[in-house]
Amino acid sequence: MSEPVLEATDVRKRYGETVALGGVSLTIGAGELFGLLGPNGAGKTTLISIMSGLTDADGGAVKLFGRPLTRSARDLRRLVGIGTQDLSIYPDLSARENLRFFGKLYGLGGGGLRDRVEEVLAAVGLTDRADERAGRFSGGMKRRLNLAAAVVHGPRVLFLDEPTTGVDPQSRNHIFRHVKALNAAGLTVVYTSHYMEEVQALCTRIAVLDDGTLRACDTLPNLLKRLDGRVRFRFAAAPPGFAARLEQLPGAKKVVPADDGFDVTTDAIPELLPRVLALAAEHGTTVTAIDPREPTLERVFLHLTGRELRD
Amino acid sequence: MPTLTLALKDLRLLLRDVRSAVILLVTPLVLILVLGLALGEGFGEKPDEKLRISVVNLDRGLAVPQPFPGKKWSEVVLDDLAGPDDIRLEEIADEATARGLVDRGARAAVLVFDPDFSERMNRASFLSHADPPPINPFDRDGVRTPDLGVRLLKDPAQPVSAAVIEQVTQVTLMRVLIPWMIGRAFQRVGDDAFMAAVAVRLGDVKPTPPEVLQELDPVVQKLLTALFADKAFAAMLEKKFGPLSGVIKGQVPAFRELIQAAFRDKELMARVGKELALGEVLTPAVRGEVGPKVKAGVGDLLSNYDFEATTWAGLNKTAAREADGARRSAYRDTSGLRYQILVPSYTVLFAFFLVLSVGWLFVSERKHGTLARLRAAPLTRGQILLGKLLPCLVVSLAQGFFLLAAGYVLFGLTWGSRPDLLAAVVVCTSVAAVGLSVLVASVARTETQVAVYGTLLVLVLGGVSGSLMPRDLMPENMKVASLVTPHAWALDAYSQLLARPNPDPAFVATACGVLLAFGAVFTLVAWWRMDLE
Repeated sequence: MSEPVLEATDVRKRYGETVALGGVSLTIGAGELFGLLGPNGAGKTTLISIMSGLTDADGGAVKLFGRPLTRSARDLRRLVGIGTQDLSIYPDLSARENLRFFGKLYGLGGGGLRDRVEEVLAAVGLTDRADERAGRFSGGMKRRLNLAAAVVHGPRVLFLDEPTTGVDPQSRNHIFRHVKALNAAGLTVVYTSHYMEEVQALCTRIAVLDDGTLRACDTLPNLLKRLDGRVRFRFAAAPPGFAARLEQLPGAKKVVPADDGFDVTTDAIPELLPRVLALAAEHGTTVTAIDPREPTLERVFLHLTGRELRD
Repeated sequence: MPTLTLALKDLRLLLRDVRSAVILLVTPLVLILVLGLALGEGFGEKPDEKLRISVVNLDRGLAVPQPFPGKKWSEVVLDDLAGPDDIRLEEIADEATARGLVDRGARAAVLVFDPDFSERMNRASFLSHADPPPINPFDRDGVRTPDLGVRLLKDPAQPVSAAVIEQVTQVTLMRVLIPWMIGRAFQRVGDDAFMAAVAVRLGDVKPTPPEVLQELDPVVQKLLTALFADKAFAAMLEKKFGPLSGVIKGQVPAFRELIQAAFRDKELMARVGKELALGEVLTPAVRGEVGPKVKAGVGDLLSNYDFEATTWAGLNKTAAREADGARRSAYRDTSGLRYQILVPSYTVLFAFFLVLSVGWLFVSERKHGTLARLRAAPLTRGQILLGKLLPCLVVSLAQGFFLLAAGYVLFGLTWGSRPDLLAAVVVCTSVAAVGLSVLVASVARTETQVAVYGTLLVLVLGGVSGSLMPRDLMPENMKVASLVTPHAWALDAYSQLLARPNPDPAFVATACGVLLAFGAVFTLVAWWRMDLE
């Protein structure tokens, strides 16, 4: 991991009797595109609020660029951009007016602001509609404008909370491209999404949050390694004692009967396949179907949290 | 700078909000117009517990002033008219104005004294002949006012009110006319002309009735006794008759008896009376002696009255009532008074309707998620709140000045003698309204809550304070209680500046101070409640 930009240490937050965060620690490096996964109510938005300086934690500490980040650290807030889960733009202002307003709030002005606004409008594909009131935009265009508003002041860290919720494919691609371009330009991005494939496709490191607790935080390959593969074999016939023989094969960890065959759990699918074929021949039967299942992020999530992401 | 950015953004949003523009600017104007038309000219005037009698006095007075009445006769009538406690006189400068008021129903009747009223009053008399010819103003129904140069302009749509005024006028004219005419008439009782007229009447009595002559016997006897007892007469007798005077003196008792017997003889007296008229007894000298005694005798007989007094109080020997100038006032055109009340009332009421616009602005900020972005920006809580307050204040000030200007242009509102203080009241009212607005915004979470809380609050405060009706019509204890609302202070300040020719600056300054205090307290509570962090 590159030089740490954001460090959360034992961050805790309660809302009344509800524990939103029960002591979360993680570190995000400079230039990372960091994914944050978790089911509804896992504490993602609370964690992002604390890490972006919107909310103070009850306990623990957050450091941004090595400095403590709290509500009162206004200068640090200048370095942060937030793409909120809900839209946060003025529907009665045009796209350009929205961006000029938010840019001015962060101290931009004059020609620099004008150029920056045009640059961001172009990046999200809204130049042609820049003078239309945002309220007349489609859902996708609003999302793109929301993203533009989060980055118009040139933040060093960008938090995106479900940035593609309810958008059309065209706008989603725009957002993806823009996020990747921003990250490629050195911007550190913290990205949460319900869409596992988005996180899987975009993020270099992923944290899994559940019930206010960090279940895992690692690169995608390392997360996938946490799960064994599984192969479903179907046979022409299964002689007595065949299941026990399968379980004794090197590499086979667990055998479970299923649909005219067996599901075999293994951490070495390529090595296991010829061994199973040989065993079948040895018992006078043949393998009629092989269905290998590699570990996925979704299965990793299920494994870590015990529930589907969209539960 | 961020505060200004925020303020300009909100100002832009407020200016684009047609709904707020309608509520804050159009609605009050429409209400003022509609209420002004519906409530009519009398709206805002204190209910008058006295009977108002409007007069136009064109009387030019007597060409040659006389000791009595010493002023125009119309003034005598007006003083009498304004005498009772329950009557108030309103003097209108010209007949055209009076006719206009009657024609549009603003007055039930107006009394008009014509230019020759004093001359005619001076001629009012019981006499049948005089120079100039006398005027007898009475008939079966009372005073014939046209004969005296008095007219009553009447609104046919208000016959009862007009009749009341007419009867009051009749009574007053009677009180002035009757002593004046009696006084003048009584001056004539017993004078030469009066006694001559009596003598002429008695001259018609011929022959003199014998009883009248018989009643003269004691007088003749007394006369003879006194005559013969007088030394000068005795000398005259002796000189005339010489020695016979003694004989004559000796025969006087017999002569007196003879005279007495003659007077007792009714037939004799009847014959003697044929040659004598009764009026001959009233010689000019007798009349000169008798006339004043007759007058005094009548006075003694009717001693409860002074028939020569010429005034009502003098006639019935009571103390005269002092004329009270306070009961007389010049007519003031109050057709614009309703707008002097309606415009400030609705300016104040709708200043506080700002709670809706501001509430919706805050709710909109939450609803659109932009409050979160503001919180994420490097802004302090104070900068955010100030950025919100400033545009609201600008809108409120614009609204206040717009409504007063529109009132001036559309409804003829006058700004009073201290427009500088008027501007100060607008500013202070706006501060209070903005404070209340952010307080409501800090409580309400949804547009519906803003609409319900805001409308309820504004209407209740408006009703309690007297924005919906003239404060002057409120009971005194309610007026005092309503001072818990900023509206009441604003209304009192406006009333001071718009309804009084010489407003009290200290009063206005106090009201402004209280309004600013309201604004400060509201804002502080809003600051405490509002979640901007």
